[in-house]
Amino acid sequence: MQAEQVDGYAAALFEVARAEGALEVVEEELFKLSDVLSQSDELRSTLTDNTIPAEKRQEIVQDLLATGKATPVTSNLVSFVVGSGHARDLPAIIKSLVERAAAERQHSVAEVRSAVPLDENQRTRLASALSKNLGKEVEVKVHVDPSVLGGISARVGDVVIDGTVRHRLDQLKESIR
Amino acid sequence: MNALNAVLVFATAAPEGGEEATTNPILPAWNEVIWGAISFTVLFVLIAKFAFPAVKKGIDARADKIRSSLDEAERTRDEASTILDQYRRQLADAKNESARIIEEARQAADKLRQDLKSQAEAEVAEIKQRAQEDIAAQVERAMGDLRARVADMTIELTEKVVQRNLDRETNLALIERFIDEAESAA
Repeated sequence: MQAEQVDGYAAALFEVARAEGALEVVEEELFKLSDVLSQSDELRSTLTDNTIPAEKRQEIVQDLLATGKATPVTSNLVSFVVGSGHARDLPAIIKSLVERAAAERQHSVAEVRSAVPLDENQRTRLASALSKNLGKEVEVKVHVDPSVLGGISARVGDVVIDGTVRHRLDQLKESIR
Repeated sequence: MNALNAVLVFATAAPEGGEEATTNPILPAWNEVIWGAISFTVLFVLIAKFAFPAVKKGIDARADKIRSSLDEAERTRDEASTILDQYRRQLADAKNESARIIEEARQAADKLRQDLKSQAEAEVAEIKQRAQEDIAAQVERAMGDLRARVADMTIELTEKVVQRNLDRETNLALIERFIDEAESAA
């Protein structure tokens, strides 16, 4: 799918969520779903498997979201994307939607990766520090990613601040080579 | 003519000498002498008039023929000499040409041999150079692979050690430190 299509789907989902008055909730739930998708190869391959009927794949994702107590709006929006055969692009669509929602609030999105979830205090402090450093309001979105091993990394647009153990190990590997 | 006159003088002088002269058995009778002289003269005139020109003409014709033959022979000899000289020149030219061709062929063969030798030497040098480069590249690649493998193994081991020792508290401490550094940089 091309970037224009991704943005188009993100805009559609964004408008529906806002019309339903559930933009923040939908945004949060979709972000969590994006995390789940990035960590589960099985779920990703199931949702993108064209040999499985679209209805079946929609049923699977709706069951998953119901288990996670997601709102019906979120469930319907995700089901719509999966039914359209664009499950593969769901993470990109969600990313675009999150950025669009943050821009709506005059904020930028800081994609933070950490091996463990951050508490509210840490999120607030990190958002504040990044906002001051970058000179613009930043919203922190945390991806729990065990592959970073430890520490956190933050990406705001093209700016990346990487303090993860994985990054240090990669640097060490390069220096050894 | 002088001899004839002498005979006539003798013949006419004889009767004046007496009876002894007429009995000379050697001398013919006067009438025989006269008729003989007349016959001789007539015959001489006839011969001079008719036979001599024909004989002379024949002799001249034969002389002309002989001269012509000699001229023809001379001309033929000159022609033969010219042709011989021409053949000799052609033969010399052919010898020179053949010598030149042989020399050119020899030079071409030398040049070809030299070229082939140079080419073979260049090819050998190139093959050797390429082989050395290949060997160096393979050694470098093997060393690179070895370094990469060592690095991967080192990182793999380090990662396992880190994972074993990186508990939740340590992780949170790392996060806190990151946030603290971000705040202090602000």
